[in-house]
Amino acid sequence: MNVLRYLRDAAVFAPCYVLLDWVSYIHPLGAFNITPWNPQPALAIAWMLLGGLAHAPAVCATIALADGIIRGFPAGYAVTGLTALTLTTGYAGIAAVLRALLRPKPSLHSLRQLTLFVGVVAAGTVVVAVGFLGVLYGTDALEPGAALPGWLRFWVGDAVGVLVTAPLLLVAADADQRSSLCALARRGETYLQIGLVAATLWLIFAGLGGDPSHHFYLLFLPLIWIAIRSGMAGAIIAIAIVQVGVVIGIHHRSLQTLPTIELQALVAALTLTALYLGVMVEERERATESLKRSLRLVAAGEMAGAIAHEINQPLTALANYGRAGQMLLEAGRNAELAGVIGSMLAEAQRASEVVRRLRDLFRQGTTRLEPVPVAHLLEAARRAGTNGLTVAAERDLPDVLVDRLQIELVLRNLVANAAESVDGAEIAVSAARHDARHLRIVVSDNGPGISPAAAKTVFEPFVSGKPSGMGIGLAVSRAIAEAHGGTLEARAASHGEFHLVLPFQSHG
Amino acid sequence: MAEPAPLVVYVIDDDASIRDSLALMLGLGGYATRLFADAESFLVAFDPGWSGCVVADLRLPGMSGVGLQSRVRSRGSTIPFVIITAHGDVPAARAAFRAQAVDFIEKPFDEAQLRAAIDTAFALEQHRIDTAELRRADLEKLARLTEREREVLDQAVKGLHAKEIAAVLGISSRTVEVHRTRIMEKLEVRNIAELVRFAVAAER
Repeated sequence: MNVLRYLRDAAVFAPCYVLLDWVSYIHPLGAFNITPWNPQPALAIAWMLLGGLAHAPAVCATIALADGIIRGFPAGYAVTGLTALTLTTGYAGIAAVLRALLRPKPSLHSLRQLTLFVGVVAAGTVVVAVGFLGVLYGTDALEPGAALPGWLRFWVGDAVGVLVTAPLLLVAADADQRSSLCALARRGETYLQIGLVAATLWLIFAGLGGDPSHHFYLLFLPLIWIAIRSGMAGAIIAIAIVQVGVVIGIHHRSLQTLPTIELQALVAALTLTALYLGVMVEERERATESLKRSLRLVAAGEMAGAIAHEINQPLTALANYGRAGQMLLEAGRNAELAGVIGSMLAEAQRASEVVRRLRDLFRQGTTRLEPVPVAHLLEAARRAGTNGLTVAAERDLPDVLVDRLQIELVLRNLVANAAESVDGAEIAVSAARHDARHLRIVVSDNGPGISPAAAKTVFEPFVSGKPSGMGIGLAVSRAIAEAHGGTLEARAASHGEFHLVLPFQSHG
Repeated sequence: MAEPAPLVVYVIDDDASIRDSLALMLGLGGYATRLFADAESFLVAFDPGWSGCVVADLRLPGMSGVGLQSRVRSRGSTIPFVIITAHGDVPAARAAFRAQAVDFIEKPFDEAQLRAAIDTAFALEQHRIDTAELRRADLEKLARLTEREREVLDQAVKGLHAKEIAAVLGISSRTVEVHRTRIMEKLEVRNIAELVRFAVAAER
């Protein structure tokens, strides 16, 4: 270990620890640091969790130093030294267990990690409190009757302090998480949420009067809002604000005796609620994100298939013309070669256009937007259909801004679906204005249609009425429509009906 | 006897360049071709008496190549199918073979591969036509027999001797022998064994 780095870290840690200890030295029991709010252990645990147990000696020295500076060694140097050793051992133990359980990186991203963290902190602080009170009791520094209430107060103070503060420190230590905090800071909604939490705190401690713990439940509402909207990062910040607010509230009304332990227990409940909600919101977001990613992959695969088909056609024709040219040469019919060569050049041109589009696809991501006349799209739909397909369009429709190949894929998919819905399907494709900025294409058939329940599920991947792949087709079609800033919906009706909405090319 | 219908390659593909190039190449290779842009127009023109080979794209507008194959089968034709596709689609290939396609060729293909498939199909067609021709000739010969001769033949095929046949039909064994000689002349066979073989083949 680099000595300089160790000293530098310790030089940052020690003042922060002393400051936190000083700030949170409220409502003590006797002259000891037995308070209902103890955030500084979180600092010690987080430091040893992230940096390793080698920091334990520095932690021990800092704890003793803080006791001296803030409380002037209330029971003598020996007791302070002994308690510092006990606390350090306990915090190092918690840090070591968390380090082992939260491999590879200590963070709170999953339900499992959060549950392990909460369990280890709750159980670990019980042991630490027993050790601390045990030392004081054993050295006769505390009256015997104060041991049990002292233990409870110490435990609640430590547990709540660590649960509230450690997640904040872990987030602050992680570069990715810091950036999500910064993103929150740029959102207007964040300030509204903070304002609401502050206002609720004021109501609880001043506005409504009486026992603050009676109105504490009000805080759950903004906390739930924040956790759902902003996930773990929001929840962590919000509970830190609540904790600070509760401490200020207790200070503010320090003349009256407030049930601080009960208040801190409520803070603990609030903290757990917010953290679990935040983690669930994040897990759900991750699941949605990975589904979207795999759908994009499937869409790319479908595109690759469509392109392979498009490139195979001219290649096949080219090979045929080439072979025909050979036969003409062998037969000495050279005069007819010019026509064949002309056809070959045209096919080569067609193939190179597909290749160019393929290159664009890889260069510019999955969509290449260009103004496309609505008539071109309808023509593609018509070509995909049978004789029973009719096409209609409103007059003077502006061009739509889409990736032609992708939207044609979607339309072919919808028409093929409609054609398979019933034997001898009559399919109608119509285009009209959806609103000032969007076009709506409706693909309808005379098949049996779908139920309102099925209208919601047909787009889910792997839900399909058919054994082969159309479920993916619809899911991909919707993903493509949404990537264009449009929508694709199935209408529950007595006949089959799909609505595809696409943006017009905007002028100006 | 009527001149047999010529074998034709029926090309069904929605891509005009593919149709045009195939027609040119196959035409130069000595095949007669007829072109269709989709399954519907082929079915409209189709006559179950057509013989040759259908070369159809798997993905056609409306009805697929494999779908067309089963429609043609349901109209009583056994004309062989060669399915071509730009998608290496395993389930489609399986469906095509289940419907007795001669071959399933992926685009782009080379001429030798396509010709081999078409030639296999033509050989199948030729064999079918030849067998049908023989059978038709046999039936014509059978039709030349009189009613009495037919009765004698039926008994002879059962393996009865002249006397036994005479007893069954209530005529003299001498008359049976006269009938039998006439039958063998008309059916152009040399002995009883050949006669029985002919009759069994024709009755099939």
